[in-house]
Amino acid sequence: MAKSKRFFMYLFLSIAAIVSIFPFLWMVVSSTNKSVDVTRGRLLPGTHLLDNFQKLLDTTDLQLSLINSAKISITTTLLALLIASLAGYGFEVFRSRSKDIVFNILLLSMMIPFAALMIPLYRMFGKISNVFPWMGIDTMTSVILPTVTTAFLIFFFRQSTKMFPKELLEAGRMDGLSELGIFLRIYLPTMKTTYAAGAIITFMSSWNNYLWPLIVLQTPQTKTMPLLISTLGSGYAPDYGMIMIAIVIGTIPTALVFFVMQKQFVAGMIGSVK
Amino acid sequence: MKKGIALLLICLLMLTACSSNSNSNSGSKNTGNAAADTGTAGNPATTEPAQAKEITIWAWDPAFNIAALEVAKAEYAKTNPDVKINIVEYAQNDIIQKLNTGLNSGTTKGLPNIVLIEDYRSQSFLQSYKDSFYDLSSSIKGSDFADYKAGPTSLDGKQYGIPFDSGVTGLYVRTDYLEQAGYKLADLQDIDWNKYIEIGKAVKEKTGKALITLDPNDLGLIRMMIQSAGEWYLKEDGKTPNIAGNAPLKEAFEIYKGLTDSNVANVHADWSQFVAALNSGDVASVPTGNWITPSITAEASQSGKWAIAPLPKLTANESVHASNLGGSSWYVMNVDGKETAADFMAKTFGSNVEMYQKLLTDIGVIGTFKAAAGGEAYGQANEFFGGQKVVSDFAAWTEQIPSVNYGINTYAIEDILIVEMQNYLNGKDIDSVLSDAQAQAESQIK
Repeated sequence: MAKSKRFFMYLFLSIAAIVSIFPFLWMVVSSTNKSVDVTRGRLLPGTHLLDNFQKLLDTTDLQLSLINSAKISITTTLLALLIASLAGYGFEVFRSRSKDIVFNILLLSMMIPFAALMIPLYRMFGKISNVFPWMGIDTMTSVILPTVTTAFLIFFFRQSTKMFPKELLEAGRMDGLSELGIFLRIYLPTMKTTYAAGAIITFMSSWNNYLWPLIVLQTPQTKTMPLLISTLGSGYAPDYGMIMIAIVIGTIPTALVFFVMQKQFVAGMIGSVK
Repeated sequence: MKKGIALLLICLLMLTACSSNSNSNSGSKNTGNAAADTGTAGNPATTEPAQAKEITIWAWDPAFNIAALEVAKAEYAKTNPDVKINIVEYAQNDIIQKLNTGLNSGTTKGLPNIVLIEDYRSQSFLQSYKDSFYDLSSSIKGSDFADYKAGPTSLDGKQYGIPFDSGVTGLYVRTDYLEQAGYKLADLQDIDWNKYIEIGKAVKEKTGKALITLDPNDLGLIRMMIQSAGEWYLKEDGKTPNIAGNAPLKEAFEIYKGLTDSNVANVHADWSQFVAALNSGDVASVPTGNWITPSITAEASQSGKWAIAPLPKLTANESVHASNLGGSSWYVMNVDGKETAADFMAKTFGSNVEMYQKLLTDIGVIGTFKAAAGGEAYGQANEFFGGQKVVSDFAAWTEQIPSVNYGINTYAIEDILIVEMQNYLNGKDIDSVLSDAQAQAESQIK
């Protein structure tokens, strides 16, 4: 009885694994095939990996887009972690009568879809361009600023801070540390796993961000990876092999970040302080 | 503690400043900014030499539209070496998204000087944001281009677009399959769609190959058929749905059903499957726009086996053997630099016959500029198509395409028709199919 139960469990898990792995497999295999073979649905690895890669280098400025994406994602992640953790920490640790109202308003803002904010936001940055061209339309700042912190991330940090032992705070105050000192020297090191989880979430969403960069970035010099990939498919006769290798390359950084921080990520999601 | 906070703030500022530093250069390179500065500094309307020395163009497809722009850019540089032209490539849907956001938000910042828009969509942009487009009536003449392009590119008698590629259609056929079925290319010169199905049955019987491949989510075939009879999904005003009581549309639906019922049609789901069906030899014919040529000739082993016949016609109305599928045109935006942009367009796509020969031989673009059709390149025989002079055939058909008003809701109505077409194929009565679609369209489009 138990055996057959286990058999079905493994069967179900195997099917689920195949379903989720297959697109990745397809992507990697296709990047080694000619465009014609990709459209014919060839599932075996081919010999055109280098050809596809060479074509990609010839037709696009891959390096520039990777650097642009890296700059934006890293800056966003660092700033977002700093702001959201300060806010989450503040919401939980300090006492104020109005803090729950403010927090609820913040949570409500999660319900507004980005599509509704897009046009006012664009208008705003258009106006900003007139005064501060360095942070207006078509600058990296304009991509970073709207996503620099999210209500979700603040919420995430506040929830984690709930498990942060308040005794440590008291001890810090008793020993004469400033409030900022407590945050930097006690809170930050203890909450490493939460930061790791937050970093992965923010980095991934920033790296894959498509709609806002598409709208606000205007010149080829500022193109990010998702924009570059989108452009590749714009032709009447797209080269699927080349597109696939571009997607593989675009996936590597997020996969890397995830695998490096995987342990901390899982710990952070479960709860950081033991 | 205060020191600490101050330090933090400074760090923050530095970070943002650093990240934007590298870009502020490229940002100011953007014509929008540069032009805006000069524009506001000088006196606005009268300064004629205050032309921007830099213009930006958005387009899609590196192998076609972008390549054509590069040719035009090189041509223009011969006479105007001081103008810098930035060509920015985006996917077509991305351009629509960016244009909509930019125009909707009312800021001209970040808009290009010239943009490529598909003919089916151009009226929705022109009518919604008329003031954002620059009237080119003084730079080019609409009558210099194929007549059918006048509908999408002009509004209220003003010429806003520079007509670009022709979407003229033809019936691409495999002559080897035809012969096995007992037909010759000459038999296809003046047929209607019912005869086409009949030929398809013979081909299916003799060769086992399908006659055509259809995408259930794309009614391009229907669009081709009704335009060949001078009708569209919308009435001539471009706003009133024209579905119930539209005789060519009804006939087109019946032929579509005839194709599926007589088992001569394959099904494909996307572009790659479509091209694969042609290249693998699974289908005997494809009625579509001339832009399919490169995809067909890509399969070199099929050289000499293809030919292009005139599009079959409907029996309703005064249907002709010529229609259009797709095609797009250039539009100059009403932002600083518009005079330079208009000048660029007028001197290249608006008048340069020689350039059109180069566009054809190098890229395969069949333009809609009438004078270009007399050029040498247009009369070349194509060995892949058994020595047929395909371009001069296409050019001749381009002139016959009936002009219709694509209006502002082509794709909205097509979405309704796609669903109703499935109902029809499943046995619903044709008249109620069309009147239901009419009712839906009327309630949806106001």
